[in-house]
Amino acid sequence: MNRITVLSIFFLLLVAPLAAQTPARYTISGYITDNASNESMIAASVVIRNPFKGTSTNTYGFYSLTADKGEYDLTISYVGFEDIKQHIVLDKDLRLNFKMKVKSVEIKEVEITGEKKDQNVSDGQMSVNKLDITQIKEIPQFMGEVDVLKTIQLLPGVKGASEGNSGIYVRGGGPDQNLILLDEAIVYNAAHLFGFFSVFNGDAVKSLNLIKGGMPAQYGGRLSSVLDISMKEGNSKDYQFEGGIGVISSRFTAQGPIKKDTSAFIISGRRTYIDVLMEPFVKDDSPFKGSGYYFYDLNTKINYRLSDKDRLFLSGYFGRDVFSYNNKDDDFKVSIPWGNATGSLRWNHLFNQKLFMNTTAVFSDYKFEFRAGQEDFSFGLLSGIRDWNLKSDYTWYPSSKHEVKFGGNYTFHTFTPNNVSASSGDTEFDFGGVIKLYAHEAGIYVNDVWTISDRWQVVPGMRLSYFSQVGPFNRYIKDVTGRVTDTVSYANGKLVKAYWGPEPRLSARFMLDEKSSLKAAFTQNYQYVHMATLSPIALPTDIWVPCSDLVKPQLGRQYAMGYFRNFKNDMYETSVEVYYKKLLNQVEFAPGALPEDNVNDNTDNNFVFGSGQSYGTELFIKKSKGKFNGWIGYTLSWTTRNFPDIEDNRTFYARYDRRHDISVVGIYELTPRWSVSSIFVYGSGNAITIPTSRYIFEGNVVNVYGLRNDYRMPPYHRLDFSATLKGKPNKRFQSSWNFSVYNVYNRRNPYFIYFANKGSIQDGTLKITAKQVSLFPILPSVTWNFKF
Amino acid sequence: MKKLNIIFPLVFLFSGVMLLESCTKDITVDLPDAEPQLVVEGGIEQNGYPWVVLSKSVSYFAPVDSAALAANIVVNATVMVSNGVITDTLNLTFDPNFIIPLVYKGNAFTGVAGQTYTLRIIVPGFEDITSTTTIPQPIPLDSLWFKVEPDQTGQDSLGFMWAHLSDPAGQGQGYRWFAKRLNKDNVFIPPFGSAFDDKFVDDKSFDFGYSRGSIPGSTAPDDTNNERGYFKTNDTVAVKFTTIGAREVAFFRTYEIEVSNNGNPFAAPGVIESNVNGGLGVFCGYGVYLDTVITQ
Repeated sequence: MNRITVLSIFFLLLVAPLAAQTPARYTISGYITDNASNESMIAASVVIRNPFKGTSTNTYGFYSLTADKGEYDLTISYVGFEDIKQHIVLDKDLRLNFKMKVKSVEIKEVEITGEKKDQNVSDGQMSVNKLDITQIKEIPQFMGEVDVLKTIQLLPGVKGASEGNSGIYVRGGGPDQNLILLDEAIVYNAAHLFGFFSVFNGDAVKSLNLIKGGMPAQYGGRLSSVLDISMKEGNSKDYQFEGGIGVISSRFTAQGPIKKDTSAFIISGRRTYIDVLMEPFVKDDSPFKGSGYYFYDLNTKINYRLSDKDRLFLSGYFGRDVFSYNNKDDDFKVSIPWGNATGSLRWNHLFNQKLFMNTTAVFSDYKFEFRAGQEDFSFGLLSGIRDWNLKSDYTWYPSSKHEVKFGGNYTFHTFTPNNVSASSGDTEFDFGGVIKLYAHEAGIYVNDVWTISDRWQVVPGMRLSYFSQVGPFNRYIKDVTGRVTDTVSYANGKLVKAYWGPEPRLSARFMLDEKSSLKAAFTQNYQYVHMATLSPIALPTDIWVPCSDLVKPQLGRQYAMGYFRNFKNDMYETSVEVYYKKLLNQVEFAPGALPEDNVNDNTDNNFVFGSGQSYGTELFIKKSKGKFNGWIGYTLSWTTRNFPDIEDNRTFYARYDRRHDISVVGIYELTPRWSVSSIFVYGSGNAITIPTSRYIFEGNVVNVYGLRNDYRMPPYHRLDFSATLKGKPNKRFQSSWNFSVYNVYNRRNPYFIYFANKGSIQDGTLKITAKQVSLFPILPSVTWNFKF
Repeated sequence: MKKLNIIFPLVFLFSGVMLLESCTKDITVDLPDAEPQLVVEGGIEQNGYPWVVLSKSVSYFAPVDSAALAANIVVNATVMVSNGVITDTLNLTFDPNFIIPLVYKGNAFTGVAGQTYTLRIIVPGFEDITSTTTIPQPIPLDSLWFKVEPDQTGQDSLGFMWAHLSDPAGQGQGYRWFAKRLNKDNVFIPPFGSAFDDKFVDDKSFDFGYSRGSIPGSTAPDDTNNERGYFKTNDTVAVKFTTIGAREVAFFRTYEIEVSNNGNPFAAPGVIESNVNGGLGVFCGYGVYLDTVITQ
């Protein structure tokens, strides 16, 4: 079937049932907010009974529900909040905004999510996990730092890269295949300091939504997953301050109304202070004076309610890591700053009861710099990516059976792959100057959540995406020895190469009975930007590169199926999912590529291309009610790659192929003030490449490496524990103490294995050893949090 | 190119700084036995006879005592080098100036700049191996000098060798630097980072410096005390500045990076770009420029 036929059939499917709707139906719509702060309630459930119809609020707290003329009992619910019940007479379109109250302390239990109680069974979307920040804060945290990405790693199908690393690998996809959005702005590097901490400050985050499969059509540009993070909007009723003092960093957040009930701000900052604490102990005459490391984040957001139909949001993130190393003895200096900056301006507009719009302008920037100098010799490295993005998204509620999303977006990318500069005295070495690459990316989509009957819900979607690289650009043509023999130059704005493709999406749900359902999903995605990684360990030096005349778009197809069942009045949620994923046009550096190969060359001349596949099953059991709650996740999976230019297309395991992955999370409320929690994780070892033989050349020992990723590191497992003591309730000033222990039984987990030789072959002192490096032993920490 | 080559690994080194505090333990790794491969360390200099040292690679954790090392030297090979007209069969000789002192040496012809040489080696039990190299035209250094590097202790006798090079445009080749202190070193010794590709310096005229190399595992006092890496005043230093081909410089660069990484887990597993078909190592033609300076 060609693309056009697929498209027309799709649109026919979508439009035909809409044309057949009957009149005498009315719509209830409005916003649902938290009574205390006016924060939007995301995914609150809105239900009418007799006959039953339901929906839930979108990211902006908006809902719309259409039903036949009549009288109904309306119920609004959100876990942790008191239900709102109202009798309504639906004889005209109604505009109803609701404010929800937090349940009083006496009856509040630690509850696990804000989702509709049986949503995991009844929702047409599969392979999705929602987490609320209050829930994340209950779980033991590494060094007391609340980290949303590390919490996500506890979900089935999601893997962490290595010890303490907040990088995520979803269903066998690479770390660059996750679409990480902070208030709709793409975050290109979500990690501080080699991934030990994520860039998301827990105090500024409201909620997050992870989609591992069956990605709806409004999302695109990445193959593996969507992680959609919403920042708090700011309290438009009262001034509120909160913060925390921890072992690694301190945080402070302020929020409040600019104009009461109309506009609000929130500003949140975090900074690490190892360098500040160390400073008094470094003598002024120490050769290392001025060396240190720190990072900081700043989140800010302003929202303004222009009218009942219009809202504006302005949000920004700025974060930097700074590493500096000074050695006066050698007159040697290194400075390495890197970080992200994002900004987004959003406009929500309600055209009418049934049509909601959000238009966003986004700026996103990631930059990495390395500067070193010794005497009159200096060296610099610069890489990064900058985006200007405009998008407009519409939600249309034509009837209670359909929720249609459509829209489009456009991005202008500027890539700065590794640019090297070096000089000695007055001589500038020729590294080709700063090279920038420019590209346009665009997409349009339509997606319909179509409830056919009580049993059937299908979600067809289609996305069309387009990408083009434009000049100025020089393509270096090389001969077999790697020498540049010719250069093709493209003028400013001239098309280098364009790609486009359809991305059909289809999800379906079939209710077996009230408590169980079957779901299936197919997605096809294109990805036009790639992260190229030289080192086996994620470093900030990893660079983003666009599709070009050499690099084709990555193409991913995923098939997933699942069985979902709830027990004991939705107290236990369980699910089993299976998936198969095929990845095409995957990118790796050619074996033996070196960082300086970029010099006077195109980065992508050093790439090789191949394919990947991944399949597995995920089991999930969650208890979300009661004093004791938590979950168990288990993943069994296989992830492989094939590259014609790597070992003649031999199938090798991806580095993060993990046969077994288990996580157990338990939270128990001992008393209203004391709660304890614990997590246990187990993962099969990473696949790595190690030397298998060696030889002597000019008196040096030279390693010969074996097959790629043919060796397994020992498995990873760890137990963490934490206890939280809350201050006395009902006071204006609230505080809590969190005590946590990381790696309780002091497991020496392998961070990496390396091989070293010492001594000399001539005098027979040569010693060859394999060493395993572990990072974190048992680590207790304490954090004090306050709020007033 | 001394400093340039030091700084590239620094990108990786900074990652290592924080790991100093972490815990490391020796582990046992079960590796399958690897098939031995032939390793060629050979060359032909302008006006010199061809030479080849031949050994075998061994399993990573194979014994490293002297008996085991001796067993890996290949002495039963037929080694032939041809200049296109004459084929010379090299003779196994003893030469204590080589770390593996059993060297196949030719005597039929010497190297000529611009000429191509073919190597063919037959060893019972192995596939035949071949390699081809060309001696590029030598490029003279414009000047050569010694510069003292004072340090905090006020020493004023140690320093590095510096040179000025004008790289001709569009050569597509590389350079390799060797130095030898008269009456102190027996052979020309390459320092770390001895080889560099002219694509970084094409058509440039510039100064560059090198530290003093030492023979791997050397226990000489000035290779183990604070003079390690330095030349000293009143040394007579002979510099052999050689011009080598593109594939050969690729070998030496990747080989030097792999040796310096020495298992560094932040570096990608090294792939050494050999010009030997059916084996490892390199057969390299050198265009030679020689100069001597008395350091002061």
